[in-house]
Amino acid sequence: MKKDCPKPSRGIEHGLAGCHSCGKVSPVSKGHCPRCGSHLHLRKPDSIRRTVAFLIAAVALYVPANLLPVMVVYEIGVTTPTTIVAGMIEFWKSGAYPIALVIFTASLLIPILKIVALTWLCAAASGKLHPSPWVLGKVYFLTELFGRWSMVDVFVVAILVGLVQVGAYTTIVPGPGVLAFASVVVMTMLAAMSFDPRLLWDRFDDLDVVSPDTKKDD
Amino acid sequence: MAARCVRCHAVLYQNRPASLARASALSLASLLLMVIVYWFPFLTLEYNGILTRLNPAQAAWALYEQGDWPVGLGIGLFTVLVPLFMAGGLLYVCGPLMAGYAAPGARTIAKWMHRAEPWNMIEVFLLGVLVSLLKLWHMAHLEFGSGFWAFAALMLCMAGALAAIDRNELWDRLEVAKS
Repeated sequence: MKKDCPKPSRGIEHGLAGCHSCGKVSPVSKGHCPRCGSHLHLRKPDSIRRTVAFLIAAVALYVPANLLPVMVVYEIGVTTPTTIVAGMIEFWKSGAYPIALVIFTASLLIPILKIVALTWLCAAASGKLHPSPWVLGKVYFLTELFGRWSMVDVFVVAILVGLVQVGAYTTIVPGPGVLAFASVVVMTMLAAMSFDPRLLWDRFDDLDVVSPDTKKDD
Repeated sequence: MAARCVRCHAVLYQNRPASLARASALSLASLLLMVIVYWFPFLTLEYNGILTRLNPAQAAWALYEQGDWPVGLGIGLFTVLVPLFMAGGLLYVCGPLMAGYAAPGARTIAKWMHRAEPWNMIEVFLLGVLVSLLKLWHMAHLEFGSGFWAFAALMLCMAGALAAIDRNELWDRLEVAKS
Protein backbone atom coordinates (compact mmCIF):
# COMPACT_ATOMS: atom_id res chain seq x y z
CA MET A 1 0.00 0.00 0.00
CA LYS A 2 2.64 2.51 1.04
CA LYS A 3 4.93 1.47 -1.81
CA ASP A 4 2.22 2.39 -4.31
CA CYS A 5 2.09 5.95 -3.08
CA PRO A 6 5.50 7.07 -1.81
CA LYS A 7 4.37 10.70 -1.86
CA PRO A 8 0.63 10.86 -1.29
CA SER A 9 -1.40 13.38 -3.22
CA ARG A 10 -2.53 16.21 -0.97
CA GLY A 11 -5.83 18.05 -0.92
CA ILE A 12 -4.12 21.44 -0.83
CA GLU A 13 -2.61 20.76 -4.30
CA HIS A 14 -6.10 20.27 -5.71
CA GLY A 15 -7.78 23.09 -3.81
CA LEU A 16 -9.68 20.58 -1.64
CA ALA A 17 -10.36 21.34 2.02
CA GLY A 18 -11.40 18.97 4.77
CA CYS A 19 -14.10 20.68 6.84
CA HIS A 20 -12.87 21.48 10.38
CA SER A 21 -16.31 20.63 11.80
CA CYS A 22 -17.63 17.58 9.96
CA GLY A 23 -14.63 16.33 7.98
CA LYS A 24 -16.26 16.42 4.52
CA VAL A 25 -13.83 17.14 1.70
CA SER A 26 -15.00 19.87 -0.70
CA PRO A 27 -13.39 22.41 -3.08
CA VAL A 28 -12.24 25.34 -0.94
CA SER A 29 -13.64 27.74 -3.59
CA LYS A 30 -17.16 26.91 -2.35
CA GLY A 31 -16.46 28.95 0.78
CA HIS A 32 -18.84 27.00 3.02
CA CYS A 33 -19.12 23.29 3.71
CA PRO A 34 -22.15 21.92 1.79
CA ARG A 35 -22.85 19.44 4.61
CA CYS A 36 -22.60 21.44 7.84
CA GLY A 37 -22.27 25.06 6.69
CA SER A 38 -18.92 25.83 8.37
CA HIS A 39 -16.32 28.06 6.73
CA LEU A 40 -13.87 26.08 4.59
CA HIS A 41 -10.13 26.62 4.98
CA LEU A 42 -7.22 24.69 3.48
CA ARG A 43 -5.42 25.15 6.81
CA LYS A 44 -6.59 26.62 10.10
CA PRO A 45 -6.60 30.41 9.52
CA ASP A 46 -3.63 32.39 10.93
CA SER A 47 -2.66 29.21 12.76
CA ILE A 48 0.87 30.13 13.88
CA ARG A 49 0.05 33.76 14.68
CA ARG A 50 -2.95 32.80 16.82
CA THR A 51 -1.04 30.04 18.60
CA VAL A 52 1.83 32.41 19.41
CA ALA A 53 -0.59 35.07 20.69
CA PHE A 54 -2.28 32.60 23.06
CA LEU A 55 1.15 31.32 24.17
CA ILE A 56 2.34 34.85 25.05
CA ALA A 57 -0.82 35.35 27.10
CA ALA A 58 -0.25 32.00 28.85
CA VAL A 59 3.39 32.85 29.71
CA ALA A 60 2.39 36.28 31.05
CA LEU A 61 -0.35 34.78 33.22
CA TYR A 62 1.86 31.94 34.47
CA VAL A 63 3.75 34.40 36.73
CA PRO A 64 0.77 35.73 38.75
CA ALA A 65 -0.79 32.25 38.68
CA ASN A 66 2.10 30.93 40.76
CA LEU A 67 2.98 34.02 42.82
CA LEU A 68 -0.51 35.08 43.91
CA PRO A 69 -2.44 33.03 46.48
CA VAL A 70 -5.09 30.74 44.96
CA MET A 71 -6.96 30.68 48.25
CA VAL A 72 -6.92 32.30 51.66
CA VAL A 73 -7.66 30.27 54.80
CA TYR A 74 -9.14 32.16 57.78
CA GLU A 75 -8.79 30.18 60.99
CA ILE A 76 -9.94 31.87 64.22
CA GLY A 77 -8.21 35.17 63.58
CA VAL A 78 -5.28 33.70 61.64
CA THR A 79 -5.10 34.42 57.90
CA THR A 80 -3.05 32.06 55.72
CA PRO A 81 -2.73 32.75 51.97
CA THR A 82 -1.84 29.62 49.99
CA THR A 83 -0.21 29.38 46.57
CA ILE A 84 -0.25 26.30 44.34
CA VAL A 85 3.40 25.52 45.14
CA ALA A 86 2.79 25.94 48.89
CA GLY A 87 -0.12 23.49 48.73
CA MET A 88 2.11 21.00 46.94
CA ILE A 89 4.93 21.37 49.47
CA GLU A 90 2.45 20.83 52.30
CA PHE A 91 1.42 17.49 50.78
CA TRP A 92 5.07 16.51 50.33
CA LYS A 93 5.96 17.38 53.96
CA SER A 94 2.99 15.42 55.32
CA GLY A 95 4.24 12.38 53.45
CA ALA A 96 1.53 12.29 50.76
CA TYR A 97 4.13 11.90 47.99
CA PRO A 98 1.86 10.51 45.24
CA ILE A 99 -0.63 13.37 45.55
CA ALA A 100 2.22 15.93 45.70
CA LEU A 101 3.53 14.44 42.44
CA VAL A 102 0.07 14.57 40.84
CA ILE A 103 -0.23 18.29 41.69
CA PHE A 104 3.35 18.96 40.58
CA THR A 105 2.66 17.26 37.24
CA ALA A 106 -0.79 18.73 36.60
CA SER A 107 -0.23 22.27 37.85
CA LEU A 108 3.43 23.05 37.20
CA LEU A 109 4.89 20.58 34.72
CA ILE A 110 2.06 20.21 32.17
CA PRO A 111 1.55 23.98 31.56
CA ILE A 112 5.32 24.49 31.11
CA LEU A 113 5.69 21.43 28.88
CA LYS A 114 2.69 22.58 26.81
CA ILE A 115 4.17 26.05 26.33
CA VAL A 116 7.57 24.58 25.37
CA ALA A 117 6.00 21.98 23.05
CA LEU A 118 3.78 24.50 21.22
CA THR A 119 6.69 26.96 20.87
CA TRP A 120 8.72 24.15 19.34
CA LEU A 121 5.83 23.21 17.03
CA CYS A 122 5.40 26.84 15.90
CA ALA A 123 9.14 27.21 15.28
CA ALA A 124 9.14 23.99 13.23
CA ALA A 125 6.00 24.94 11.29
CA SER A 126 7.41 28.36 10.39
CA GLY A 127 10.72 26.86 9.20
CA LYS A 128 12.99 27.93 12.06
CA LEU A 129 13.58 24.35 13.16
CA HIS A 130 13.63 21.10 11.25
CA PRO A 131 10.10 19.74 10.92
CA SER A 132 10.04 16.09 11.84
CA PRO A 133 6.29 15.46 11.50
CA TRP A 134 6.36 11.94 12.92
CA VAL A 135 7.81 13.03 16.25
CA LEU A 136 6.12 16.43 16.38
CA GLY A 137 2.75 14.96 15.43
CA LYS A 138 2.93 12.81 18.56
CA VAL A 139 4.04 15.80 20.62
CA TYR A 140 0.95 17.68 19.40
CA PHE A 141 -1.34 14.73 20.17
CA LEU A 142 -0.01 14.51 23.76
CA THR A 143 -0.30 18.29 24.19
CA GLU A 144 -4.00 18.15 23.31
CA LEU A 145 -4.56 15.05 25.45
CA PHE A 146 -3.08 16.24 28.76
CA GLY A 147 -3.83 19.97 28.66
CA ARG A 148 -7.17 19.79 30.47
CA TRP A 149 -5.77 18.03 33.54
CA SER A 150 -4.08 21.23 34.69
CA MET A 151 -7.52 22.48 35.68
CA VAL A 152 -7.53 20.12 38.68
CA ASP A 153 -6.21 22.72 41.16
CA VAL A 154 -8.91 25.19 40.15
CA PHE A 155 -11.55 22.56 40.96
CA VAL A 156 -9.84 21.83 44.29
CA VAL A 157 -10.09 25.52 45.24
CA ALA A 158 -13.79 25.58 44.30
CA ILE A 159 -14.52 22.45 46.34
CA LEU A 160 -12.64 23.74 49.41
CA VAL A 161 -14.30 27.16 49.18
CA GLY A 162 -17.72 25.52 48.88
CA LEU A 163 -17.19 23.02 51.70
CA VAL A 164 -15.21 24.95 54.29
CA GLN A 165 -17.60 27.70 55.34
CA VAL A 166 -17.92 26.56 58.91
CA GLY A 167 -19.28 29.61 60.69
CA ALA A 168 -16.66 31.62 62.53
CA TYR A 169 -14.16 28.80 62.98
CA THR A 170 -12.68 28.28 59.55
CA THR A 171 -13.43 29.88 56.20
CA ILE A 172 -11.69 29.50 52.85
CA VAL A 173 -12.09 32.18 50.18
CA PRO A 174 -10.64 32.17 46.65
CA GLY A 175 -7.50 34.24 46.01
CA PRO A 176 -6.65 36.27 42.89
CA GLY A 177 -4.26 33.52 41.71
CA VAL A 178 -7.04 31.14 40.83
CA LEU A 179 -8.35 33.33 37.98
CA ALA A 180 -4.80 33.72 36.62
CA PHE A 181 -4.22 29.98 36.89
CA ALA A 182 -7.49 29.01 35.19
CA SER A 183 -6.66 31.52 32.45
CA VAL A 184 -3.26 29.87 31.87
CA VAL A 185 -5.00 26.53 31.30
CA VAL A 186 -7.63 28.05 28.98
CA MET A 187 -4.96 29.97 27.02
CA THR A 188 -2.79 26.86 26.48
CA MET A 189 -5.89 24.90 25.40
CA LEU A 190 -6.84 27.63 22.90
CA ALA A 191 -3.21 27.71 21.68
CA ALA A 192 -3.26 23.95 21.05
CA MET A 193 -6.62 24.20 19.24
CA SER A 194 -5.35 27.01 16.99
CA PHE A 195 -2.31 25.05 15.83
CA ASP A 196 -2.63 23.08 12.60
CA PRO A 197 -0.28 20.05 12.59
CA ARG A 198 -0.60 19.80 8.80
CA LEU A 199 1.67 22.86 8.57
CA LEU A 200 4.52 20.57 9.68
CA TRP A 201 3.83 18.28 6.71
CA ASP A 202 3.64 21.27 4.36
CA ARG A 203 7.07 22.40 5.56
CA PHE A 204 8.35 18.84 5.29
CA ASP A 205 7.18 18.62 1.66
CA ASP A 206 8.91 21.90 0.86
CA LEU A 207 12.20 20.31 1.94
CA ASP A 208 11.60 17.69 -0.77
CA VAL A 209 13.48 14.91 0.98
CA VAL A 210 12.82 11.20 0.53
CA SER A 211 10.23 10.21 3.06
CA PRO A 212 11.69 7.65 5.51
CA ASP A 213 8.22 6.18 5.58
CA THR A 214 8.79 4.57 2.17
CA LYS A 215 11.90 2.82 3.44
CA LYS A 216 10.77 1.39 6.74
CA ASP A 217 8.39 -1.52 7.39
CA ASP A 218 6.16 -3.25 4.74
CA MET B 1 -10.66 -2.12 11.39
CA ALA B 2 -9.97 1.49 10.69
CA ALA B 3 -8.96 3.64 7.73
CA ARG B 4 -5.64 5.30 8.48
CA CYS B 5 -3.76 8.22 6.99
CA VAL B 6 -0.99 6.92 4.68
CA ARG B 7 1.46 9.49 6.03
CA CYS B 8 0.96 9.90 9.78
CA HIS B 9 -1.12 6.74 10.45
CA ALA B 10 -3.76 8.67 12.39
CA VAL B 11 -7.19 7.01 12.35
CA LEU B 12 -9.37 8.68 9.71
CA TYR B 13 -12.51 6.59 9.91
CA GLN B 14 -13.63 3.74 12.07
CA ASN B 15 -16.78 1.70 11.84
CA ARG B 16 -17.99 0.98 15.36
CA PRO B 17 -20.58 -1.71 16.08
CA ALA B 18 -24.15 -0.60 16.90
CA SER B 19 -22.88 2.97 16.94
CA LEU B 20 -26.20 4.86 17.04
CA ALA B 21 -27.81 2.53 19.57
CA ARG B 22 -24.78 2.69 21.88
CA ALA B 23 -24.44 6.47 21.62
CA SER B 24 -28.17 6.93 22.36
CA ALA B 25 -28.27 4.43 25.23
CA LEU B 26 -25.14 5.74 26.96
CA SER B 27 -26.13 9.40 26.53
CA LEU B 28 -29.58 8.63 27.99
CA ALA B 29 -27.83 6.86 30.90
CA SER B 30 -25.61 9.94 31.35
CA LEU B 31 -28.65 12.22 31.56
CA LEU B 32 -30.30 9.98 34.17
CA LEU B 33 -27.06 9.88 36.18
CA MET B 34 -26.97 13.69 36.13
CA VAL B 35 -30.37 13.70 37.83
CA ILE B 36 -28.93 11.46 40.59
CA VAL B 37 -25.81 13.66 40.90
CA TYR B 38 -27.94 16.72 41.67
CA TRP B 39 -30.80 15.03 43.53
CA PHE B 40 -28.77 13.09 46.10
CA PRO B 41 -25.91 14.23 48.39
CA PHE B 42 -22.60 14.45 46.57
CA LEU B 43 -20.06 15.39 49.25
CA THR B 44 -20.89 15.95 52.92
CA LEU B 45 -18.41 17.56 55.28
CA GLU B 46 -18.86 17.17 59.01
CA TYR B 47 -16.98 19.64 61.17
CA ASN B 48 -17.77 20.08 64.86
CA GLY B 49 -21.26 18.74 64.28
CA ILE B 50 -22.02 21.11 61.40
CA LEU B 51 -22.87 19.49 58.07
CA THR B 52 -22.01 21.13 54.73
CA ARG B 53 -23.14 19.62 51.43
CA LEU B 54 -21.59 20.29 48.04
CA ASN B 55 -22.14 19.16 44.44
CA PRO B 56 -20.32 20.38 41.28
CA ALA B 57 -22.88 23.10 40.56
CA GLN B 58 -22.64 24.37 44.16
CA ALA B 59 -18.81 24.42 43.89
CA ALA B 60 -19.13 26.70 40.86
CA TRP B 61 -21.73 28.80 42.70
CA ALA B 62 -19.50 29.12 45.78
CA LEU B 63 -16.79 30.84 43.73
CA TYR B 64 -19.40 33.02 42.02
CA GLU B 65 -20.76 34.11 45.40
CA GLN B 66 -17.29 34.90 46.73
CA GLY B 67 -16.88 37.39 43.89
CA ASP B 68 -14.69 35.22 41.64
CA TRP B 69 -17.43 35.01 39.00
CA PRO B 70 -15.25 34.33 35.91
CA VAL B 71 -13.81 31.17 37.48
CA GLY B 72 -17.22 30.18 38.87
CA LEU B 73 -18.69 30.53 35.39
CA GLY B 74 -15.83 28.48 33.91
CA ILE B 75 -16.31 25.66 36.42
CA GLY B 76 -20.07 25.69 35.79
CA LEU B 77 -19.38 25.35 32.06
CA PHE B 78 -16.71 22.64 32.31
CA THR B 79 -18.45 20.38 34.83
CA VAL B 80 -22.20 21.06 34.47
CA LEU B 81 -23.30 22.79 31.25
CA VAL B 82 -20.91 21.28 28.68
CA PRO B 83 -21.48 17.67 29.90
CA LEU B 84 -25.26 18.33 29.90
CA PHE B 85 -25.10 19.72 26.36
CA MET B 86 -22.91 16.82 25.14
CA ALA B 87 -25.18 14.11 26.58
CA GLY B 88 -28.43 15.85 25.62
CA GLY B 89 -27.15 16.75 22.16
CA LEU B 90 -25.89 13.25 21.44
CA LEU B 91 -29.25 11.72 22.41
CA TYR B 92 -31.17 14.35 20.42
CA VAL B 93 -29.07 13.72 17.29
CA CYS B 94 -28.55 9.93 17.50
CA GLY B 95 -32.00 8.86 18.75
CA PRO B 96 -34.00 10.03 15.68
CA LEU B 97 -31.14 8.93 13.39
CA MET B 98 -31.84 5.31 14.38
CA ALA B 99 -35.14 5.69 12.47
CA GLY B 100 -33.37 7.56 9.67
CA TYR B 101 -34.54 11.02 10.66
CA ALA B 102 -32.53 14.15 11.41
CA ALA B 103 -34.18 16.09 14.24
CA PRO B 104 -34.70 19.84 13.63
CA GLY B 105 -31.41 21.64 14.20
CA ALA B 106 -29.48 18.37 14.51
CA ARG B 107 -26.73 19.62 12.18
CA THR B 108 -26.16 22.80 14.20
CA ILE B 109 -26.07 20.80 17.43
CA ALA B 110 -23.62 18.27 15.96
CA LYS B 111 -21.33 21.14 14.92
CA TRP B 112 -21.40 22.68 18.40
CA MET B 113 -20.86 19.29 20.06
CA HIS B 114 -17.60 18.98 18.17
CA ARG B 115 -16.54 22.44 19.43
CA ALA B 116 -17.63 21.79 23.02
CA GLU B 117 -16.00 18.39 23.42
CA PRO B 118 -12.54 19.50 24.69
CA TRP B 119 -14.21 21.58 27.42
CA ASN B 120 -15.96 18.61 29.04
CA MET B 121 -13.89 18.12 32.23
CA ILE B 122 -15.85 15.62 34.32
CA GLU B 123 -12.85 13.34 34.91
CA VAL B 124 -10.65 16.27 35.94
CA PHE B 125 -13.25 17.38 38.50
CA LEU B 126 -13.30 13.83 39.89
CA LEU B 127 -9.52 14.02 40.44
CA GLY B 128 -10.11 17.39 42.11
CA VAL B 129 -12.55 15.76 44.54
CA LEU B 130 -9.92 13.17 45.50
CA VAL B 131 -7.23 15.83 46.06
CA SER B 132 -9.67 17.86 48.22
CA LEU B 133 -10.46 14.75 50.23
CA LEU B 134 -6.76 14.34 51.04
CA LYS B 135 -6.51 18.02 52.01
CA LEU B 136 -9.47 17.85 54.40
CA TRP B 137 -8.71 14.36 55.74
CA HIS B 138 -7.11 15.62 58.96
CA MET B 139 -9.47 18.41 59.94
CA ALA B 140 -12.93 17.05 59.17
CA HIS B 141 -14.99 14.02 58.29
CA LEU B 142 -15.84 13.85 54.59
CA GLU B 143 -18.50 11.52 53.22
CA PHE B 144 -19.20 10.49 49.64
CA GLY B 145 -22.93 10.32 48.86
CA SER B 146 -24.80 8.51 46.07
CA GLY B 147 -24.41 11.67 43.98
CA PHE B 148 -20.64 11.19 43.97
CA TRP B 149 -20.84 7.59 42.80
CA ALA B 150 -23.34 8.61 40.13
CA PHE B 151 -20.79 11.23 39.01
CA ALA B 152 -18.08 8.56 38.73
CA ALA B 153 -20.47 6.40 36.66
CA LEU B 154 -21.36 9.50 34.61
CA MET B 155 -17.69 9.90 33.70
CA LEU B 156 -17.61 6.33 32.32
CA CYS B 157 -20.95 6.65 30.49
CA MET B 158 -19.98 9.96 28.89
CA ALA B 159 -16.65 8.54 27.73
CA GLY B 160 -18.48 5.50 26.30
CA ALA B 161 -21.17 7.63 24.62
CA LEU B 162 -18.63 9.92 22.95
CA ALA B 163 -16.49 6.98 21.82
CA ALA B 164 -19.51 5.05 20.50
CA ILE B 165 -19.75 6.84 17.18
CA ASP B 166 -17.11 8.09 14.77
CA ARG B 167 -17.54 11.78 13.90
CA ASN B 168 -17.43 11.04 10.15
CA GLU B 169 -20.03 8.29 10.51
CA LEU B 170 -22.34 10.63 12.42
CA TRP B 171 -22.09 13.24 9.66
CA ASP B 172 -22.46 10.64 6.88
CA ARG B 173 -25.70 9.52 8.50
CA LEU B 174 -26.91 13.10 9.04
CA GLU B 175 -26.23 13.84 5.37
CA VAL B 176 -28.54 11.10 4.08
CA ALA B 177 -31.17 11.42 6.85
CA LYS B 178 -34.69 12.66 6.14
CA SER B 179 -35.55 15.85 7.98
